[in-house]
Amino acid sequence: MKPLIASAVFGVIMMFAALSVKEKKTFTLLATLLLVLLTGVNIYELMHIMNGEIPEALFNGMLKYGSFSIWFNTLMTGIALLYVLLCGKHIEKVGQHTGEYYGLIFFILCGANLLSGYNNLLILFLGIEIISIPQYILAGSDKRNLKSSEASLKYFLMGAFSTGILLMGIALLYGAMHTFDVSQFNFMEHNVDAMSLGGIFFIMVALGFKVSAAPMHFWTPDVYDGAPTPFTAIMATIVKAAIFVAFLRLFSETFGGISQHWTLVLSIVTALTLFVGNITAVFQQSVKRMLAYSSIAQAGFMLFAVLAVNATGFKGIIIYAVAYSVATIGMFAVLMKLKDYTYDGFNGLGRKHPLLAFTATIFLLSLAGIPLTGGFFAKYFVLTAVMEQGTGMMWLVIFALLMAAISAYYYFKVLMAMYFKKGEPELAIEVTTGDRFFLGLAAAAIIVIGVAPDILLAWLKN
Amino acid sequence: MPVAVQLLIAIGFVAIMMIASHLLGPKRRTSDKLINFESGIPSIGNARQPMAVKYFLVAILFVLFDVEVIFFYPYAVNFRALGTEGFYAVLMFVAFFFCGFFYIIKKGALKWED
Amino acid sequence: MPIQHYLFLSLALFSIGVMGVLMRRNAIIVFMCIELMLNAVNLLMVAFSKMMGTADAQVFVFFIMVVAAAEVAVGLAIIVMMYRKVHSVDINILNRLKH
Repeated sequence: MKPLIASAVFGVIMMFAALSVKEKKTFTLLATLLLVLLTGVNIYELMHIMNGEIPEALFNGMLKYGSFSIWFNTLMTGIALLYVLLCGKHIEKVGQHTGEYYGLIFFILCGANLLSGYNNLLILFLGIEIISIPQYILAGSDKRNLKSSEASLKYFLMGAFSTGILLMGIALLYGAMHTFDVSQFNFMEHNVDAMSLGGIFFIMVALGFKVSAAPMHFWTPDVYDGAPTPFTAIMATIVKAAIFVAFLRLFSETFGGISQHWTLVLSIVTALTLFVGNITAVFQQSVKRMLAYSSIAQAGFMLFAVLAVNATGFKGIIIYAVAYSVATIGMFAVLMKLKDYTYDGFNGLGRKHPLLAFTATIFLLSLAGIPLTGGFFAKYFVLTAVMEQGTGMMWLVIFALLMAAISAYYYFKVLMAMYFKKGEPELAIEVTTGDRFFLGLAAAAIIVIGVAPDILLAWLKN
Repeated sequence: MPVAVQLLIAIGFVAIMMIASHLLGPKRRTSDKLINFESGIPSIGNARQPMAVKYFLVAILFVLFDVEVIFFYPYAVNFRALGTEGFYAVLMFVAFFFCGFFYIIKKGALKWED
Repeated sequence: MPIQHYLFLSLALFSIGVMGVLMRRNAIIVFMCIELMLNAVNLLMVAFSKMMGTADAQVFVFFIMVVAAAEVAVGLAIIVMMYRKVHSVDINILNRLKH
């Protein structure tokens, strides 16, 4: 519970800092400091769990943290720290209210914390809303830019719509189950009827909206493209991972017993997501938009963890969330250094700024799932998780491998531009030693996960 | 199953009603019908004049702070049963509330004079 | 009164809301339709709560109301920001993002 309170209080502290502090650099410094503190609080909590302390249920059993949720939170705060270190300078440039932006990022972390520890559908709903509302504001934070406002409005309307659907699902499920407490759900002959299945379906659609699974993905490219790039980076990574954890926990733990009723629908959604994401990404001209479609495609792979309904799925989502988030944040950090977001903007980057190009290479290879990078083991874990369930899903696994091969095409297009095309890439911002160091750190993290993925799993109990 | 039937009926009902009102409803677009009804008084000018954002801001803040009060109702009903622990919880809620209030005051959102 | 009547009413309201969101082009009306969806859920929750004799769904309704108010604040601010730029609340304009 301490990390939850800490993240909310830190958000308020950032808000109040915005009232008194004028210098924008100070905000980044303060946010970094608070994030280090928050990571520390998370690790402190994790140590307690590792020492064999049984986590107690909080707020009348509404929240229940296990080793999985606390470890996931620790990773997410760590990634948020990396994000601020890499993108802090760019956040300062978005608009006037830097302090508030950081405050909203802390509130997003608070929502992610709720989503990882919820034990009641009320907390699931609140977590999703606490994560979403700051995002609507962040998407529209570049007030001079019309595209940013449009992205914000579109995201808001779609997000509120999906919230309505989620609530309908929760209400129907409550009618069938007579409780909101997910640990008291028990599906039997008499209550697996149209009402409970309808509820599950509505919740699946709503969560599909939030993680941008096809056919509910249509808002994603426009919103990710229109939002200021530093905030696209957090929307595509930490938020998505957090909602996936909620998705996974709900469908694996709670609805796992009646998986025969929903796996078919979800596997079709998965196949469609992989197909739409990868095929449309091929035709994009802008790298930012390509990354938006690639995030849809990666969501398709993360859906495999949900489909698996077993413990390997939980391991898979941890590795996938970390490998994907670090690589995407790194890639966005490289992209933000450039003036031109099209493929041509990358021309000749390999010769002019070798380190930038090299780290970008590692991030892209990881996203494509090449061995020795974190992305490979991420894909490996989620796909084996599904295969453990028998051969019924074999067609989907083969389809996913095919789609991974297609994804290599558009990631390699950036590599080709960087190393084999001549050009003078223009930088939008000076690359400092600090940037180089943290980019190198992110790339090193990806390689380490790619060589020894077990270090991410050592903290999980059973 | 009955829910599915009801869902179908509900959707069908909505669709039929919308189509029916579209088809059956008389359509006379005279100029008298299209003007706004202002209690029988002829309307003057356009209501959509540019308004200062501060009106909007005050209205929105009112909605927010007004709705937050609904959490006091359940507390008021269970005032005795919740005891001191409930009192501290409500105190914390109010404290967070005041943080927000202090923030908007400091931000100058409620300032009327420029 | 049997619960089916409430279920029917709130599903009908919900469907009207969904249809409105999908068919209307005015951002404010779309927004009102979303509120209609939320209120349909509120109605259903309260009906279930009464049927089962428990209060937790009613507390849930309070939370929905508060979150909806927060969403109204943010959403209307976004719509106003948009209106001041393009002097219209027609969401067809949003298609400009697709290039």
